[in-house]
Amino acid sequence: MAKNRVKIEDISKPSEKLTHLDIDEMMPLPPPYDKIEEQPGWKKLSDDAIENLETSLDDTIAIGIPKPKNEEEEKELVEKFLRGLEKLLQKENNWTFLQPLLLSLEHCAKCQTCTKACPIYEASGKQDVYRPTFRSEVWRRIVHKYLKPGGKFFGRLSHGDIDLNWTTVARLMELSYRCTLCRRCAQTCPIGIDNGLITHELRKVFSQEMGIAPKEIHEKGSVLQLEVGSSTGMNAEVVKDNIDFIDEDMQDLTGIEVHTPWDKKGADLLLIHNAGEILAWPENPGAFAIILEKAGIDWTLSSDIAAYDGINYGLWYDDFQLGKVAIKHAEAAKNLGVNRIVVGECGHAHKALTVIADRVLTGDFNIPRVSAMTLLEEIVFSGKIKFDPSKNDFPVTLHDPCNMVRLMGIVEPQRRILRYLCPQFREMTPHGVNNYCCGGGSGFAIMSGHNFQDWRLAVSGRMKLKQIVEAFDDHPEPETNKYLCAPCSNCKGQLRDLFRYYGVREKSGIIYGGLVELIVNAMVDIKQPFINFDEMQ
Amino acid sequence: MAIFEHGDIKIEVDEDGFMQEPDQWNEEVAKALATTEEVHEMTDEHWKLVNYLRDYYKQFGIAPMIRKLCKETGFPLKKVYELFPSGPAKGACKVAGLAKPTGCV
Repeated sequence: MAKNRVKIEDISKPSEKLTHLDIDEMMPLPPPYDKIEEQPGWKKLSDDAIENLETSLDDTIAIGIPKPKNEEEEKELVEKFLRGLEKLLQKENNWTFLQPLLLSLEHCAKCQTCTKACPIYEASGKQDVYRPTFRSEVWRRIVHKYLKPGGKFFGRLSHGDIDLNWTTVARLMELSYRCTLCRRCAQTCPIGIDNGLITHELRKVFSQEMGIAPKEIHEKGSVLQLEVGSSTGMNAEVVKDNIDFIDEDMQDLTGIEVHTPWDKKGADLLLIHNAGEILAWPENPGAFAIILEKAGIDWTLSSDIAAYDGINYGLWYDDFQLGKVAIKHAEAAKNLGVNRIVVGECGHAHKALTVIADRVLTGDFNIPRVSAMTLLEEIVFSGKIKFDPSKNDFPVTLHDPCNMVRLMGIVEPQRRILRYLCPQFREMTPHGVNNYCCGGGSGFAIMSGHNFQDWRLAVSGRMKLKQIVEAFDDHPEPETNKYLCAPCSNCKGQLRDLFRYYGVREKSGIIYGGLVELIVNAMVDIKQPFINFDEMQ
Repeated sequence: MAIFEHGDIKIEVDEDGFMQEPDQWNEEVAKALATTEEVHEMTDEHWKLVNYLRDYYKQFGIAPMIRKLCKETGFPLKKVYELFPSGPAKGACKVAGLAKPTGCV
């Protein structure tokens, strides 16, 4: 049990920090990562940050909320927050998520079953403030005391007291970015309370009503995507130039001639990648192109604004941004007259476009939207491509991206491929819908400001690292090449940072990559290995 | 907004030390920024990488693909990490005065 016991009502009491984190109290890591003195630890926040920003939750900051100039400004922000909370509970202002939110408002039995399911709570050394119920309970108490008739008296008595002041709001804002929205807590709750949803709804109030969100996901994320075409900053000219480069590179590497089609009217399917793949992991879109060409699929990419970048960061914090991007994606497909959209290896893009956007994409925007996992399964088992699984004869394990697997139920297609093409495939424990998040979910993988990267690698990614290392415990030696298959760009970003932080490539000989790379690596037609253990990250 | 000072150099940087006004970049600024990136001396190889990044940035307004960077400079990724320990995006781009890369990269 952590030393820092924190009660719900403590969140309102100003202090330097509500809690403090110690690496030696965190969940132990398996060898060779078990020596605390060899763990990188983390940077202290700068004096400048402490002076100007709200830093009183724990030892890091995700948003960097400027300190209000005076009491008046504080009051104004608190009031805005309360009015935003009110809107969350109104049908006309929150028709998307009202019903599950109301159910989660009333019925928590406070049994704490969810805490054991939460990788952040467990890995942190059981910090009270990271319990999935902590922020939910703060929210409940505020609603019951400040938004219900007679709440100031009865709310306090029946639901517990809380003081709504600027300290409460500022800490709650930061706390809404200490959860990756993996929703393992919701899965395990005996009565179906969704603490992940509550976190998401709080983030919405902060963004939609108060204009506060981490700049990596808003200003440099969804706003940039709608302006330029991609959150990476690539406009249509740049992305086409890059794809040309990848096509050539693939031909050099494999001998297979590839010409990625752009804006092909009437193609069967529009493929949308996370554009981060194109810049940082080009072998992924390259492998997709090879597979689709070899299987004779009639496909295209789109150079319309936002349509060559499947990301939809709004999913994590803002319904308006979510809706705008989803409409752009559907519009591009409609303009081309394709039969379906296929979402590449990106978990949150899967959930945003195929599930959540269902409420927005009606009428002729309701174009079938499918996962690359099912398309790839169809291709791999169609007999159109010849495979030699012995080319993949090295230990392989699979990371399940939360959005794709737990939240959408796409569990088996990728596994059937791996069982067929990878003789040494083994599962992690737990896996499938019970997986643990990579620790970079809900935008964390791209958030590295101040010392937040240290937090997401030491705390939120800790459980994943443990699982990965244990999945290969029959071959701990770094000389044996091992492959972690992670079919999601966001997860790969987190894994890259995690591996570098702990020296996983050097100490354990594990590299990570997507699913399509393993498929191409097993193709008979490829003369040299596609997966290069020396060069891949 | 933080200020980065090193000798006579004084520039505005974001919280991760990336330049806010890339126009103010020059070789002296690069050398100063390199000190924050565990780069003890800017060798010809460092300059080759930095100059490639700057040329690409001037033309396209963003940082190049990592693979393109490796191919055009002839440096494998490992070498890039040897030159700039925090990597091409966080280390090399910072010294070259580029804005911090955005999106899922």
